[in-house]
Amino acid sequence: MAQDKPRIILRTEGLANPRALKTYIEHAEGYTAIKKVLGGAVTREQLIEEVKASGLRGRGGAGFPTGLKWTFVPQSDTGPKYLICNNDESEPGTFKDRHICTVNPHQVIEGMVLAAFAIKANKGYIYTRWEFQEEIGYLVEAIKEAYAAGFLGKNILGSGFDFDLDHYSGAGAYICGEETGLISSLEGKKGQPKVKPPFPAVSGYLGRPTIVNNTETLANVPWIVNHGAKEFRQYGTEKSPGSKLFSISGALVRPGVYEVPLGYPFERLVQEECGGYLPGRSLQALIPGGASAPLLTPEEVKGLTLDYEAMASRGTMLGSGAIMIIDDRQVLAELLKVTIEFFAHESCGQCTPCREGTGWLNNIMDGVLGGTAKPDSVERMRTVAKHMGGKTICALSDACAMPVTSYVQKFSGQLQAYLAQAAAAGSHVK
Amino acid sequence: MSVFGDGLKAEIEGFLKRYETRRSAILPVLHAIQDVHGWIKPEHIEELHTVYGLDRVHVKEVITFYDIYKDKPVRKFQIRYCKNITCHMLGARPAIARIREHIAALDAAHGEDGAFSLEEFPCLGKCDGAPVMLVNKERVEHATVDKIDQLLTKYAPTVLR
Repeated sequence: MAQDKPRIILRTEGLANPRALKTYIEHAEGYTAIKKVLGGAVTREQLIEEVKASGLRGRGGAGFPTGLKWTFVPQSDTGPKYLICNNDESEPGTFKDRHICTVNPHQVIEGMVLAAFAIKANKGYIYTRWEFQEEIGYLVEAIKEAYAAGFLGKNILGSGFDFDLDHYSGAGAYICGEETGLISSLEGKKGQPKVKPPFPAVSGYLGRPTIVNNTETLANVPWIVNHGAKEFRQYGTEKSPGSKLFSISGALVRPGVYEVPLGYPFERLVQEECGGYLPGRSLQALIPGGASAPLLTPEEVKGLTLDYEAMASRGTMLGSGAIMIIDDRQVLAELLKVTIEFFAHESCGQCTPCREGTGWLNNIMDGVLGGTAKPDSVERMRTVAKHMGGKTICALSDACAMPVTSYVQKFSGQLQAYLAQAAAAGSHVK
Repeated sequence: MSVFGDGLKAEIEGFLKRYETRRSAILPVLHAIQDVHGWIKPEHIEELHTVYGLDRVHVKEVITFYDIYKDKPVRKFQIRYCKNITCHMLGARPAIARIREHIAALDAAHGEDGAFSLEEFPCLGKCDGAPVMLVNKERVEHATVDKIDQLLTKYAPTVLR
């Protein structure tokens, strides 16, 4: 019987000096997976097959199968290949990768050595958002320790496999969390996403084959190598195996990052891990997977489990596991404005539907909150959002349109109340 | 004579050799300059162009694209206050308003060189400590109105003396 709450990622959490190499080695099977693989007990093909068999899905938001992604790198290509750890974690509501850097950075590094071996990359980067100043320090220190111990660099553990790893700091741009935007940034450019195809696995950093994996995704790999795909599948659900880190915030007694199996009941996470809602507060709406996820009503939250399929069946998404509790004291129209303003600010400006659409929505919301909106504002928001979906190079435009559509559909009452108030005051723009 | 000074010059040269292309060094180089000088001055961009071969257009587009880079003088303490969803729900707005009051009072007393500046920031990625702000590179969690009063009253006399 599998443990109720597995520790696959946060294995050193709560220990003294959790980040230290020594702690990782002594308490979390540290660097035993690379000994197994680089020592020859597991071949490159077996490694990829094991990760595929585990059903590990990308933890950054898209949920794409990790092992399958690795196979997209053309193996006939003998030139340089790159592995990038996407530690940009910029979706509002997400802070789980930050927590991994704080408690167990070495497991990410070991996961990178394994992934690099799988795709035959000899160079890797960890790309972290600038705002994580403390955590960048932890990563740089961990990389230094791993080099000194011979787990990074030339001829790792005498295997003949070379892997150099460097850290790269972003500079405050949400869009660099999108993998091709991140690659542009790493090339020293504006973080603007690139048209796909070609996908980065074929043509990424400097036009070379590149795999971009999320921090949490990579941290899963050493555990899978050590324990096998079968044991990994004991946790979670058939289609969403393993554990998942959830960043949960809002009016809770203990907001934070929690590792639970996928498929875990939402209500249990709130009550057991988070200690329930703050006294006197109740759930008004739920953002289940970051600012770009469609909202759920309390009715839709009933019986909700935390996995990709349960979210999809309710028309929303698990995303990166960023749960935000909107309690009954919040003004939804204000939160909608905050959300739209964010995306309008972060739009990179390449694609018209996104650049203009986010701005239009932002202007309409200014009018709604300021009492100067036209009576058909809510309808216009619906129309603008509709024309922003699926028409752009990356998903930022959709990321803004989806929550807008769900607010308008499910919570239009509050927006209409603002409009009615403005109409009564006679302040409508004619 | 370099506008950077010896230590920074060596750091810049290190970055230019560190990556696959010189252009990849632009972000780290700008971080390094800003850490020393607070902002990116026109003469920095010119020297990067003429001495180090980093195209001034490439450098300027990076500076203007990313929120962190500043091409205008900055104050001694830059406050970046997160205004995103969870911070908003847990008190960002009144705290931001209070910071503005403090800054206005300090500016009135000390002129334009008051020590603090405020930037309403898109997101700081620490929602479990909401509301959150950064003072330069230091994170301050649960930065509610009371804490703002304590912090700014504590800092202001020492930094303005």
